[in-house]
Formats: sequence, structure tokens, C-alpha cells
Amino acid sequence: MNVQQAIDEANRCLLCHDAPCSQACPGGTDPAKFIRQIRFMNLKGAARTVLGNNPLGGVCANVCPTDDTCVRACLRSGIGQPIDIDGLQRFAVDYGRSQGVKAFAKGKELPHKVAVIGAGPAGLTAAARLATYGYPVTIFEARKQAGGMLRYGVPETRLTVEDLETDLNEITALGVEIRTNTRIESKNAAAKLLDEGYSAVFVAPGLWKPLALNIPGADLDGVTTALTFLDDARVAPETIRTLVKDQFVAIIGGGSVAMDVATTAIRLGAKRVYALALEGMTELPAMGDEIIEAMELGVVIKPQAQVSKVLGENGRVVGIEGHETEWVVPGKLTPDNAKKVDGTRFSLKVGALVQAIGQGATEAVGGIITPFKSDRGLATADKQSQATTMKKVFAGGDVVRGAGTVVDAVGDGKRAAEAIHELLSEGQVAL
Amino acid sequence: MTRGIDLSINFCGVTFPNPFCLSSSPVGNTYDMCARAFDMGWGGVVYKTVGLDYEVKITHPSPRLNPLHRGSQRVVGLQNVEQISDRPTKDNFVDLARLKKNYPHKALVASIMGLTHATDWEKLAKMAEDAGADMIECNFSCPQMTVEGTGHKAGQDTAVVEKLTSITKSACSIPVMAKMTPNVADMLPLALAAQAGGADAISAINTVKALTGVDLDTATPLPNVGGKSSSSGYSGTAVKPIGLRFISDMARDERLKIPLSGMGGIYTWIDCVEYLLLGASTLQVTTAILQHGFRIVEDMDEGLSDYLVDHGYESVQQMVGKAVRNVVEPNQLSHATQAISVIDHDKCIGCGQCFLTCRDGAAQAISIQDDRMPIVDEDECFGCLMCKHICPVQDCITYKTVPHHQATA
Repeated sequence: MNVQQAIDEANRCLLCHDAPCSQACPGGTDPAKFIRQIRFMNLKGAARTVLGNNPLGGVCANVCPTDDTCVRACLRSGIGQPIDIDGLQRFAVDYGRSQGVKAFAKGKELPHKVAVIGAGPAGLTAAARLATYGYPVTIFEARKQAGGMLRYGVPETRLTVEDLETDLNEITALGVEIRTNTRIESKNAAAKLLDEGYSAVFVAPGLWKPLALNIPGADLDGVTTALTFLDDARVAPETIRTLVKDQFVAIIGGGSVAMDVATTAIRLGAKRVYALALEGMTELPAMGDEIIEAMELGVVIKPQAQVSKVLGENGRVVGIEGHETEWVVPGKLTPDNAKKVDGTRFSLKVGALVQAIGQGATEAVGGIITPFKSDRGLATADKQSQATTMKKVFAGGDVVRGAGTVVDAVGDGKRAAEAIHELLSEGQVAL
Repeated sequence: MTRGIDLSINFCGVTFPNPFCLSSSPVGNTYDMCARAFDMGWGGVVYKTVGLDYEVKITHPSPRLNPLHRGSQRVVGLQNVEQISDRPTKDNFVDLARLKKNYPHKALVASIMGLTHATDWEKLAKMAEDAGADMIECNFSCPQMTVEGTGHKAGQDTAVVEKLTSITKSACSIPVMAKMTPNVADMLPLALAAQAGGADAISAINTVKALTGVDLDTATPLPNVGGKSSSSGYSGTAVKPIGLRFISDMARDERLKIPLSGMGGIYTWIDCVEYLLLGASTLQVTTAILQHGFRIVEDMDEGLSDYLVDHGYESVQQMVGKAVRNVVEPNQLSHATQAISVIDHDKCIGCGQCFLTCRDGAAQAISIQDDRMPIVDEDECFGCLMCKHICPVQDCITYKTVPHHQATA
């Protein structure tokens, strides 16, 4: 969007009282405010509203599932098309940055140091916010570069490295130290960090253990997981190109990640791509525009289908077998509620199979927090403060909520930062 | 296209095939432009004002225009610092003659302005009649003429208006119309002066002297002409209410007997009907054409035709001035009743704009329920209807009429 387009779009906004879009943002962004600022030509102010609330505001403008949040809440839908809120957010951020708008500044340095585990959306958000209060923050990041899923789990077509690094640079400019290639997963790691002199710890390592189906042939060559697939597509695209080029590729899953894999496979030269989902066509967890984009690229979506066996030759996948399903209890979209429909057996010739059925915590993550209060293999944290059962230790992002959205993780990071600030500013935490 | 309804009107003896005319401006600057306008359905042309070029050479500042945008609405107002025609006087009269020859049934009005001497008006009037113009419009109202003593400076002086009208009228046998400036508190004395000088009609309004903006970086008002700017002629939608006011002022005054040609912000057939109902017999347009081209006359023609049929009028003349008797002074308005806003919850989308305007700008009579639906406290509502005016949903907020709260208290 250019300035004129943004103003045109902002002029369609009804400027609702107590605007539902703003209430719908899990990250606490206030679209009603930045749209009003655009409408009244306060374009720099709009950038400050977005970025001041969310240091990853630029990233979120690209990857946010707005159809499920602010745009879904838009009352303009009652008399026509809803407002293009993500487009306006993108505009506000781009415009603000082009004008040198800095939404936040490093606070006056405070004595308490804070450690953050994981440089993904939750960790980065918490770190940025704590830095604006003045706390020296160190992020420990296992991977080679910061960003977490934003760098290793989202296709380049949805978020460019350039856009990610623009946001990252703003955060490091606040004095946040990011120690990459530093894996924190020793037992009692959070306690050790506290012993080392950190006054609080925010645990946000994410979920990096891909889930895989326990079916015959799942260990054949050419069978992989979405996490590995998308990671490689970013850092070693030739590996993926070799895997999918001129091949028929099947993906198990019907969510956003499955659609990311499907479109990436097509872009890297796959001849035909299937996405097989347990859900019906109208029940797919992916966003509507993601499904449309995949279908426009030629992805064949096979709804209510379950893969039961991977066929191999010479140790390599050559096909899959499966059947169609129906729900035992209608509307309950869980694998254990899916029932095979007799007479619907099918087989497909495929040269690669990608499982996009979610991810869990690596075993090592369990050791960071002691005691690890586990729920579905995830860490448990208070919904308001992100506090864990361990004093001075907070947790958020995917490790707490399961595979969630970027904006959910941003919300966690903000809440954790506020809670840590409250804890440390009470003066009861010894240095 | 047009509906074939007869929209012709007799305007001080000249038959206009329809009331839609180009006003004297950039849109009627050459033969080709006017011919195209006639071809597309305009009933009349008031040709770009012509002066005598033997002592004064007219040139235009550049850039000459500056718009007023309102959010996504482009050009709700337009400022123009252009002068009268910069073409040779002779060329303009040649074009006028060709227009009359090739479009004998269209109405052709020559707009004139004397520049140096009062006798210029006499010469120009003769030349216009000789060229075949059906009427003359005396331009007493251009707000940015750079030649001292011309333009709206002349048009603000009743004695000058009467004298120049009289000179023009005496020099020709065709009807003479005097074009008024709105840059006065009261137009009537000037219109009456023109009538006293022999004018056959009044046209109004010329543009409103205005500044549309300032370049924030150079602190120069716009349009920036070599580092400076001038308040100059402002037109378009933004000035329509001012035009309607002056036309109705003149239509209401019984001393003024001559017909009116209305202009100022006419874009649609609805604007046309409003001007006609408030007393104009012919209509003139520029800014809408600058923005959208001559083609818009098709919609004016079709819309006005439908209006005549729908309201049972047999001619445009029948509807002229029908709203005039309903314009009174503020102290003559009835205070016996008042409005109460009525909000249709079946239509309401819950945006809450009505609540905000009522809370911060009116009676604090609207509250919002938990389901986002607004409720009107009828005892508190004083019926300003701002809520209705800003509501984005068609027919969601209406009103009922009740005895005036203050009258019954």
C-alpha cells in the first residue's frame, strides 16, 4: 500500500467506539487506534502504535492470521468488505521506518539482569520490552541465528529474511544481547541461570520435536516432517529441491503449516502435491486465504482422508495407502474420533511424504524448569503473568500453549515482561 | 443515455435545449472543447471570459490549481488562480462564430470583461453579438484578476456594476447577464444594481476567494507559484451550499425580477434539482467537468428527466423556485416540535459512532448496551440528529417528531 491507498482504506473504517478489532488481537495491538491515526494523517503515530505495542509488528503484519482475529471482528463486514487491517499495519510499519520512527528506546539501565531462553517471537518480545524498562537482557538461542520459527519454520514467501532482520535489528539496538549457538537444556537450567546472577528467567524455547505417525513405512527414506522440511527449505533449499523436484509429494495435515509445506513444495519444483487431512473441506484448520493460495498453485486437497501405510522400494518411499474417514461424533475434530469408511481405500504414487501433524517439546526442555509441571508434554504457566511454579521463572510461547501463532507468542512475551518488571521493581529481589 | 424528455427552458428570450451549461472557465476555452461538450449533450456554453488584448496581455500563473482532498475523496474543493482567456481576442470570437454556425440550436453565451477602459465593455459586447452569441455574461466576479480594478473588485461596487452593465446593455441587442461574486456579505444590492443597469439575468456564484493549503516544508501556501501563492477562486462540492444560499437569497427577494443562472458545486442531477428548486433557471458547471469530463451531462439529463416525470412536472420551468417559499429567516422557524432519534437494532451493526457523537457533541442521550446496541433516552435527546447523519448504515437511524421538550416543560 502507498500513502494514498492506505488513506483510502482507512477512510472506509467506521472508527467504531470500543472497537472489536482491537479487542480481538491476542498480541494487544490496537488496530482501531492506528487506523484512526492513518485516517487523521498521523502516519508516524500509527507506526508508533504498532511497533510500540509489538516489537515484531512488522513481522506480524506479514504472518498474522488476521482472518481469525482483528479482521474477523471488523464490523465493516456488516455493510460490505472488512478493513484490510494487516495491509494497513504493514503500511504503518513501512512508512514509520522510512521516516526513521523509533517506537521504543533503551531504558535507563537497571541493576537486575534477565535471561531469556529462546530468540523466537515470545523471547524477542519479552526481551525488547524488558530492555525498554532498562533491564540488561541476554537471550540464549540454540540455533545459529535468532528468530525461531520466524526464521526456520515460515516460508520465505510469507516472511522475508529482510523483514525479519529489520525487526531484529530494532531489538538488538536496544542493547539486547542474543547469544546464538548456545543451547540451554541442562537439567535445572533455569535455576542455574538464577544462580549465575540473573534476577529472572523467561523460558521460551519453542517446540522443536516434530510429531510423526506410527504407521508402517514411516521410517523410509523420503519421509520427513514439516518442521524439518520448512527448516531445510530456508537454510538448505537444495536438499528440499532434490527431494521434491519432479516428484509427486504427499503432505499429511490440513493446517497452516501443511499449506506452507505444500506451496513450498510446488515452488521448489514438485510435479503434483497432495494434502491429506482428517478434516472436511470446510473444517480445515488452515486460513481461507492459505487454502485458496495452495489450490491456486495446484495443490490437491484430499479432505477426510487418513494415511495408514507408507509403501517403499529399496528403502525409499514410492507410495501411500489410506482410506477416507468420517467423524464418529460430528464436529469433534480429533484423530481418535475419525472412523474409516468402508470401500474407500485408495493408494497414491508419491516420491516424498511430509508429515505436518504438529510438534512437541524436546525431552531436554523438560529439564529447564524444575519441577517441570507437564501438561501434554508442555510447560505450564499462569495465563496472566506467565509465571511457572518456580519462583522468578516465567514461560511462554509454544512451549506453554502448544504450536500457536506468532501473535499469541508476542502476547505471552509481553505479559511475561510486565510480570518480571513488576517482580523486580518491587525491590524484593536481591541482586 | 437521455430519456427523450423535453428539458428545454426559455431563459430571458433564449431557448436552452436543456439547462446544463459549461460555466465560463477552462472547460470552455476553445472551439473544440465547446463543440465536444455540445456533441455530448450540454445545452449551453458560457465561453471562457474574453477581454481585449490590445493593451493588456493575459498570462496564467503555473501551477494554477490546488485541490482540497478529504481523506479518500479527491477534489472536494478546487482552487484556481487562472485569469480570463489568454488567447488572442480575435481567435476567441472566430471560435464563437464557428460554434454558433455549427450548433445553431444550442445556447451560446459570450463572457466578457473589460480590462483597461469602461469602453472595453462596449466593444466586447458588439463583437460578441456580431459573432452570433445568444447572450452576454458580464464577468464582474473573477477573484484573482491581476489587472487593477477588474474582476470581483468591480463586482463588489454597486455603482460600478450598474454602470458597466448599462454600457454593455446599450452596446448590443442581445440579453445581458451579470455574474456575481460570493465574496460579499450580501449579494442583493449588487444584483439589484445590475438589474437597474439593464441586466436581463443574474448568474451566481463565481468562485470563493480562498486558500486551500500550505506546503508544510517550504511554508508556502498552495499552489506554489515561484515560491508564493494567492488566495484565489475556490469551487467544487465544498462551495455548493454557498451557491444555493446566494441563489435562494436572490430568488426570495421580490425586488429582483430577472431570472437566475445557478452554479457552484454542481456534480449530479440532484445538485441540479436543488439549484432549480431554489430559483435557478439554467445551470452552469466547471469543476465536475474538470474532474470527470463532459460525459457527466448524460447522468444529469437522465436524472432530471426522471425527476420531472416522477414528480409530475411538465417542464423544467414548472419546478423553478418551488423550494423558495420554504426558505425563511432563522427567527421564523417553528419551535413547537422536535425530533427524537429512532435506532433500528435489526439494522445496527454496533459500531457505536452514534454513542460517541452524542456523548461528546450533543445530549449524552445515547447509551450502549452489553450487546453493543445503542439506546436513546427520549427525555434527553434534543433531536440534533447528528447520530443519524454519521451512521454508516442506510436507514438505521431515523427520527420521530414529538412536541418540543422545552416548549412542554
